[in-house]
Amino acid sequence: MTCPTPSSALASNIERRRLMQILGLGGLGLAAGLPLAGRARAQGAEIAFWATATLDIGDGWDRMSEATGIRLVFTDNGNDMGPVVARLAAGNANDLFDVGGFQGGAERELFRQGQIVPWDLARIPNFARLWPLAKDMAHLRNDAGEQIGIPSVVNADSIIYRKDKLGVVDSYGVIFDPALKGRVAMEDAWINSAVFTAMYLKESENLPIGDPGNLTEAELGLVMEFLIKHKRDGQFRTFWNGWEQGVQLVANEEVDAMTGWEPIVYEGLKRGLDVAYAAPVEGYEAWGNNTVLLRGATERGVADAAHAFVNWMLDGYYGGALATSRGYIVPADTTTEYAAAHPGEFDAADIAAKAKHVADKFAGKVAWQNVRPDNFQLYEEWWQKLRNA
Amino acid sequence: MPRLLLIVLLPVLAVLVLGVAPLLTVTTWSFWTWDPATYWIRPEPSLAGYGAILEAGRWTVLADTLGKGLLAALLCLLLAYPLTYAIHFLSGPRLALLLLAAITIPFFTSSLIRAFSWRLVLGRTGPVNAFLQELGLVARPLDWLLFSDFAVMVGLVASYMPFAAFPLLLSLRRVEPSYLAAAQDLGAGFWRIVRTIILPLTLPGAFAGFLFVLVMVIGSSTEVQMLGGAGASIVSVMVNDVMRVANFPLAFAISTVVLVVLLALVLAGNRAFRLARLFEDPSW
Repeated sequence: MTCPTPSSALASNIERRRLMQILGLGGLGLAAGLPLAGRARAQGAEIAFWATATLDIGDGWDRMSEATGIRLVFTDNGNDMGPVVARLAAGNANDLFDVGGFQGGAERELFRQGQIVPWDLARIPNFARLWPLAKDMAHLRNDAGEQIGIPSVVNADSIIYRKDKLGVVDSYGVIFDPALKGRVAMEDAWINSAVFTAMYLKESENLPIGDPGNLTEAELGLVMEFLIKHKRDGQFRTFWNGWEQGVQLVANEEVDAMTGWEPIVYEGLKRGLDVAYAAPVEGYEAWGNNTVLLRGATERGVADAAHAFVNWMLDGYYGGALATSRGYIVPADTTTEYAAAHPGEFDAADIAAKAKHVADKFAGKVAWQNVRPDNFQLYEEWWQKLRNA
Repeated sequence: MPRLLLIVLLPVLAVLVLGVAPLLTVTTWSFWTWDPATYWIRPEPSLAGYGAILEAGRWTVLADTLGKGLLAALLCLLLAYPLTYAIHFLSGPRLALLLLAAITIPFFTSSLIRAFSWRLVLGRTGPVNAFLQELGLVARPLDWLLFSDFAVMVGLVASYMPFAAFPLLLSLRRVEPSYLAAAQDLGAGFWRIVRTIILPLTLPGAFAGFLFVLVMVIGSSTEVQMLGGAGASIVSVMVNDVMRVANFPLAFAISTVVLVVLLALVLAGNRAFRLARLFEDPSW
C-alpha cells in the first residue's frame, strides 16, 4: 500500500494512536492528558478502519489513497459484535479507530452510548446512489432522523439443501420437518437461528410475531420453546460454526438441509453435489454491514477524512473490488456503473449478475438480522436453555 | 545468596503479575455490578453474577464440564499407563523415541485441524462407518459416532493424552529397575508388581497428568463445538456466549467458580498423592 507522506500533525496523531495501542489505556481517561493532533485535513490524513475482515480489499485501498489522499489502516474487528461493543464501551476502541465497519443492528445502541456520532450526508454525495432499500433502513437513523450508519454490504440468507434428495425446497418448514429428523442443522448463533425460526413461525404457522429480528420477551419465549422442543426430539444433527464446518456438513452428507450462507452452495456445486439455495416463501434473513463514524474520529479532527473515505467506498471501485474478491455487493448503483465503465478492471457482466441476484432477494419479504435486539441478554439466556435442553 | 534470591524472585514476580493478579482481578470483578449504560461494570457489590449461574441450566454446564474433564483425564491415564510402560521398560532408545514422537506429532497441528479430522473420520461417510458397513456389522452408518458425547470424548482423549503421558513417564523413570528385579526374584507376578510397586511409586506423576488433562479439558471448546451434538456446551463456550452479550459479572463469576473448584481439586489431590514427591531426589 502506498502511503502519502504524513504531515507533522498527522505524524503526531499516528504516534499518539500507537502509544495508546501500547499502553492499552483507553477507557481510563488518560487520553485526556495526551496532546491531541489537532484538526487534520482529509488530504494526507490517516483513517483507522476497524471492520469485518471481509470488507478489506487489500491492495485495493491504494486506489482510495490515490483518489482522496487518505491513508487507510485496516484492522479486523473479528465480526463478533459482543467484544466490539464491549471494547467501544469499556475499552480503548475510540482511541484507536476512526471508522467502524460493523454487522448491523447495534448502531442505535452505540449512538445512545455516545460511542458513534451521526454522519453528515452533505459530505457524502454518493449516499444518494445507494439502493432505496439501503438508504431507507430505519435502524441506521437516530431518533432525530440523522444517519448513524452507512450500508457498505447487504445480502440475505436462507437454506442450503440437497436438491437430489429433497426436490425443490421453498420453506423453512424443511428444517423442522420430522421426516428429516437428525438430517438438518442450524447455525450455532441466536442472531441467525432465532430469526429464521421466528420467520417460519410468523409466516407459515401464523403465530403472533412482529419483527423476527427484534423479538419481544413473549415472542422470544415462543420461538425458543419451539426450538427446544425440536432439539429434544433429535431434529438437529448439529449447530454449526464457520465456513469449513458448514461446507463439510453438506459435502459429507451429514445433513440434507441447513440454514446458512449461499457461498456454501457454490462450494458444494464445485464438489459435484446437487445442492441449491432456497427462496423461502417466508422470505430471506437479510443482513448488512454498515460503516459508522466513531466518536474518536471527531475528537481527533479526522471527521472530514472519514466522510471522504466513506464517500469513496460508495463511488464504485470499492463495490467492484469487493464483488470480485468476495462476492459481496455494495448496494449502490455505482457498483455496476463503475464496472461497466471500466471493463479492463472488472467483469461487468459478473458483477451485474451478482448485484441483480442480491437485489432480487430483497424484492420479496426479508427480516433483518439484528446483533443487538432490545432483549439481547434474554436471547443469550434462552440460548443457554436451548443448549442445555 | 543474593544471586539465588534474584533467580527465584524473577519467576515468582512473573507468576504473581501474569498469573495471580489477573485471577484476583477477575474474582473481584465477579462481585461488581453490570452497568447497562456503559456495558461495563461498576464497583457496587453484587452477587447477581453468581445468582445467574443457577439460571438457564448454566450450573449443569459446569457440572457436565467437570464430568467430561474427569472422564477424559481418567481415560487418558488408562491409555497413558501401558504406553509409558512400553516406552520406559520395553523399548530400546530408538523405539522409545519413535513412540514419543508418535504421541507428540499430532500437536504439530492446531486443535481445530485435529477436531476437524475427527469429523471426517467419524462421520456418516467416514472410514469408520465405511469399515463397519464393509464388515457387515451395521446396515446403515452409525449416527452417534459423530456429533455426540462419544465423539467429544474421542476428540478430547486424542488431544490431551500426551499431557497425561509425559508426567507419567517422568515418574516411571523414578522406579528403580532393581525394585522390579527384586520383586521378580521373590516370585511376584506382573500384576502384583504393577499393583504394589509401579502404581504407588507413580501416583504423583499420574495425578499430575490427571490434573493437566482436567485443566486442559475445562479450558477447551474446539472439540465440543466441532464434535458435539446440537448446541453442545462446555464452560468456555458458555463464557463466550455470555461475553457476547457483555454480561461480564456472570462471565467472571463462572470463571471464579471454575478456579475455586480446580484449586480445591489440586489441594485435595496434593494431600492424597503428595505431588511434591515428583521433585524429590530418589536417591535420598
